[in-house]
Amino acid sequence: MTDGQGAQFAHESESEFARILDFYGIRWEYEPRSFPLEYDGTGRTIESFSPDFYLPDFDLYLELTTLRQSLVTRKNRKLRRMRALYPHVRVKILYGRDVRSLFAKYDLQPASIR
Amino acid sequence: MPAGPIERVLLTEEQIRLRVGEMAAQVTRDYLGLDLLLVTVLKGGLYFLADLTRALEIPTTIDFMAISSYRGGKGRSGAVRLIKDLEEDLSGRHVLLVEDIIDTGLTMSYLLRTLRARDPADLAICTLLDKTTRRIVDDLPIRYRGFEAPDAFLVGYGLDFREQYRTLPYIGVLQPDLIATPAPP
Repeated sequence: MTDGQGAQFAHESESEFARILDFYGIRWEYEPRSFPLEYDGTGRTIESFSPDFYLPDFDLYLELTTLRQSLVTRKNRKLRRMRALYPHVRVKILYGRDVRSLFAKYDLQPASIR
Repeated sequence: MPAGPIERVLLTEEQIRLRVGEMAAQVTRDYLGLDLLLVTVLKGGLYFLADLTRALEIPTTIDFMAISSYRGGKGRSGAVRLIKDLEEDLSGRHVLLVEDIIDTGLTMSYLLRTLRARDPADLAICTLLDKTTRRIVDDLPIRYRGFEAPDAFLVGYGLDFREQYRTLPYIGVLQPDLIATPAPP
């Protein structure tokens, strides 16, 4: 999936979210940065976290998730690790319930938010 | 009393009336002697603005604006735009933006950008409901907040679902399964 800026979205929900941001004139970047979370003995990154969106006007990273609970738990763990390692970086996560509620506000049906 | 599509009453008419009175008293104290202009966005803020202004004990001016709504899907939705602009000049005035609810803050972010460009002396927000669970824009100048809103779809007292339930005198939680039903063509 792509949008007007040429971003390759992994999920339709991300594409829809980008369109909402565009509508309100909020600048965004899609997965612009990867934050290393863990290294092996040679200093090679073995785990990292790449938040879905960066909103430069608010200096805020956003992660959207509509995944099943087991994967959400893993993502939460990554988020905690990221906050510990990069306390100066502002990051928020929107869970499946948040995303569904947000889209419900715009009367977007489930087919478009999967 | 709730019926059918309303799962439960969140705030009764009496609770809203009392809180709006408290907020009005605070606004009255803070803006005494100042040229206060209250602005709301149609249609949701209409009821709160009407009750708030009638409880104020200072002279005020009111004005209204309306903006286009996001329509989802793969087609181009364009950009948010003013459907109805203000009639009052904001320059040098103390402006209070009155809202029924603030959720993500995206709409409010647009409104603030639009109004700040008109050079008011001061611009602040008065919201009846503050839903912070999904807040994206979190540097909003909220000076007055009535209630913290839970993470639920709320209707009544100006809040609608597909243009219904706005006129309920209370604020209720909409049945979740109703939200999932497709909108009529």
